[in-house]
Amino acid sequence: MNRTVLIVGLFLATAVVGVLFLGLGKDPQRIDSPLIGRTAPSFALREAGTGDTIALEQFRGKPVVLNFWATWCAPCYEEHPILVANARRLGSQAQFVGVVFQDTEEKILKFLRDRGSAYPTVVDDAGKTAIAYGVGGVPETFFLDADGTIVAKHDGPVSTELLQANLVKAMQR
Amino acid sequence: MNPGLGRFLILASLLVATAGALVAFAAGRTGSQEGLKWARRLAYAFAALMAGATLLMEYALLTHDFSVSYVAQVGSRSVPAWVTISSLWSSLEGSILFWGFVLAAYIAIATWMTRDRYREYMPDAIGVWLSSAAFFSFLLAGPANPFHTVPIPPLDGPGPNPLLQNHILMVVHPPFLYLGFVGMTIPFGLAAAALIKGRLGHGFLKPIREALLLPWVFLTISIMLGGWWAYEVLGWGGYWAWDPVENASLLPWLTATAALHSMMVVERRGILKGWTTTLILATYLLVILGTFMTRSGVFNSVHSFTQSSIGPTILAFLAAALIFSVVLLATRIDRLEAEGTIEGAVSREGMFLVNNLMFVLLTFTVLIGTVFPLIVEAVNGKQMSVGRPYFDSMVVPAGAALLFLLGVGPALPWGRATREQLRRALLPPLAGAAVFLLAGLAFGVRTPWTLLALAFGGYAAQVTLHQMWLPLVQRLRGGDSFANALVDGQLRRGRRRFASYIVHAGAVVTLIAIGVSSTMKSEGEYQLSKGQSASLAGYTITFLGVEDRAEPHRHSTIASFAVLKNGTQKTILHPRMNQYETMREPIGTPDVYTTAAGDVYLSILNVDRMQQSVGVSMVQTPLVVWIWIAVILMGIGGLVGVIPGRRSAAAAATAGVTLSREDGEGSPADGAIPRPAREGA
Repeated sequence: MNRTVLIVGLFLATAVVGVLFLGLGKDPQRIDSPLIGRTAPSFALREAGTGDTIALEQFRGKPVVLNFWATWCAPCYEEHPILVANARRLGSQAQFVGVVFQDTEEKILKFLRDRGSAYPTVVDDAGKTAIAYGVGGVPETFFLDADGTIVAKHDGPVSTELLQANLVKAMQR
Repeated sequence: MNPGLGRFLILASLLVATAGALVAFAAGRTGSQEGLKWARRLAYAFAALMAGATLLMEYALLTHDFSVSYVAQVGSRSVPAWVTISSLWSSLEGSILFWGFVLAAYIAIATWMTRDRYREYMPDAIGVWLSSAAFFSFLLAGPANPFHTVPIPPLDGPGPNPLLQNHILMVVHPPFLYLGFVGMTIPFGLAAAALIKGRLGHGFLKPIREALLLPWVFLTISIMLGGWWAYEVLGWGGYWAWDPVENASLLPWLTATAALHSMMVVERRGILKGWTTTLILATYLLVILGTFMTRSGVFNSVHSFTQSSIGPTILAFLAAALIFSVVLLATRIDRLEAEGTIEGAVSREGMFLVNNLMFVLLTFTVLIGTVFPLIVEAVNGKQMSVGRPYFDSMVVPAGAALLFLLGVGPALPWGRATREQLRRALLPPLAGAAVFLLAGLAFGVRTPWTLLALAFGGYAAQVTLHQMWLPLVQRLRGGDSFANALVDGQLRRGRRRFASYIVHAGAVVTLIAIGVSSTMKSEGEYQLSKGQSASLAGYTITFLGVEDRAEPHRHSTIASFAVLKNGTQKTILHPRMNQYETMREPIGTPDVYTTAAGDVYLSILNVDRMQQSVGVSMVQTPLVVWIWIAVILMGIGGLVGVIPGRRSAAAAATAGVTLSREDGEGSPADGAIPRPAREGA
């Protein structure tokens, strides 16, 4: 029995397996946004359809769900009914806002007519808001607390459970 | 009926592999010949069952039998047959089945090739192979079962991930990778058997070397294919990004390459036996680690790991294999007695030691860089990534050192050398170093590391060419005919030596091409309207316009650029942007104009249809095509070393055929002389 080999070998084996074990179940695609914990970048954008200007600041006092989306994005179709249903259910407890990402107002309005809507959707013409939020692709959803601080971010389509969990976080702050 | 039959075949393969492993280990313990016979039969039975299951899956894919869960997941009636066939390895469960199939083929062939030899070692080797087989059968029977029954089969399926249909390299890269990865099971089993028996006889080195060399060839080619694919498809103009998945394929390659070298020292001097077996065991463990890191096969998750349920199962297997290997090494390594010593540091064997040190250093560097983000996140919850600067700062000096060794190592004689011998061996190649260095300076190379690489590369190139043709030259001097000198000196007797220098030649060219292409590339980003031009590194591109093309599964925007050099049009390139239905972001497909001197590489950044203008990224990279060519040369060299004359050489040696003297007795043309096989059994 070579003790050196045994000890060094078992040490290396434990280290490698231990580190990999801790990595289990983590989603390596998830990158925490550096914006979490900071005040959400403000915007004042034109609402699709009405043409009214909507500023983020006007929703201070309740949690905000900010959803970046587009009609050319397949997962956005999947999450749209979930967003609408939850916005209706929560009513004035939380404010949902859709932000259009690289799309035309015409297509957006047709999409909303066909599939229903329950909250305002604003048009980010020059893409400045998406850049300010560091949006890499759609859908991406940001959760803001009543003070306008970003508490969570989610890439990809949302589910009801995910919306609830993150809104609870936003309400606790 | 298909899914049920598939499940039966998998369960039967699990049973047979488990039984075979038990019988084989028992036979190893008792030395029972009958037990060995049964172990072999069960090995063949496993191979047949696994092959049957794989063929059944291919049949189900081709006949669009959507009652098989895997077919429902990746099949589609609207894709061409070649996509359907290759969708076997396009997703998790299928890729594990493919792994099982490749393993079955390797086990069957290895069992057949060793059928009447190495009786002392074979029971344990078969036991280890079948244990690995049993694990993969278990994965297929449980966590990664591709043969679930779909109660209400759909009429059509989604087809495999569109990215996999995007480029032909994506069809050939995975099979090569599997042939490389899975094949490492065979040398692992042989080395473990040697450890279990507590001896590594001279005659048993040959099967280990060959079993290691063949998958090494596949792994070498597959790493290159992966880089080439990234270059042709991903659009950032590079071929290697130190992505965890890329590192996963590089790690076992590094230890296998080290083992192939240290094995030469075992053969020549009878030392480093424990070290060499450690490297072989480590190679297999790193293969399993790589499999874990990519869930299963590289593909279904180019960038994510362990999100599937088989992650923990593979990790458990890795832990078991690690403990098995460590305990085996600890209890047996001292029994593998050394038969000699190293006589001088400045000798061939001394250089082999330095070579091994470099490869192991590289392995640890890459391994630590790969898992470091996991460690940091485990310790303080912060996310981070280890990027190119870390890897470059560690790997570039190690690469330069390897290039240095590629020159100095083969130039040095075995054993102790006199001052005069050293001078004669080491001084002439300085000419090659000077030529390459001056050529580099003439072409404008000013980066110190690149100049160093060129000097080392020139030195190594001269040594390699000299050593490669030495047997031929010696025979011609001895009055042999050219044809005989070529066939017998290079391809028959000196085949192994010739092969290894072909590999070295490929390695020299690869390392130089990597050094030059990564430091001498020019990049530019331009916003061009129709008719506008941009110039970079002697090339001018003119934007000709964009057109849209709609296909059922994707929408493409294709731009056209004329590429000119010195006012003459060389070609028209069509980089494109593809928007797949199922993807969040558009995928760019670059277009490349390749010449021997360098590539012009264009990829689209954005398209403004109103203005008819595009943003384009242009990359001019020198020598990049030589990487692909030189790695293929390395693969060919490896194949030359492993394929022909397997039996004949051994037969000639055991028959006591006297070796002709012109093979270079007393000269450095060592590989030309096959050593008589001293069989252990």
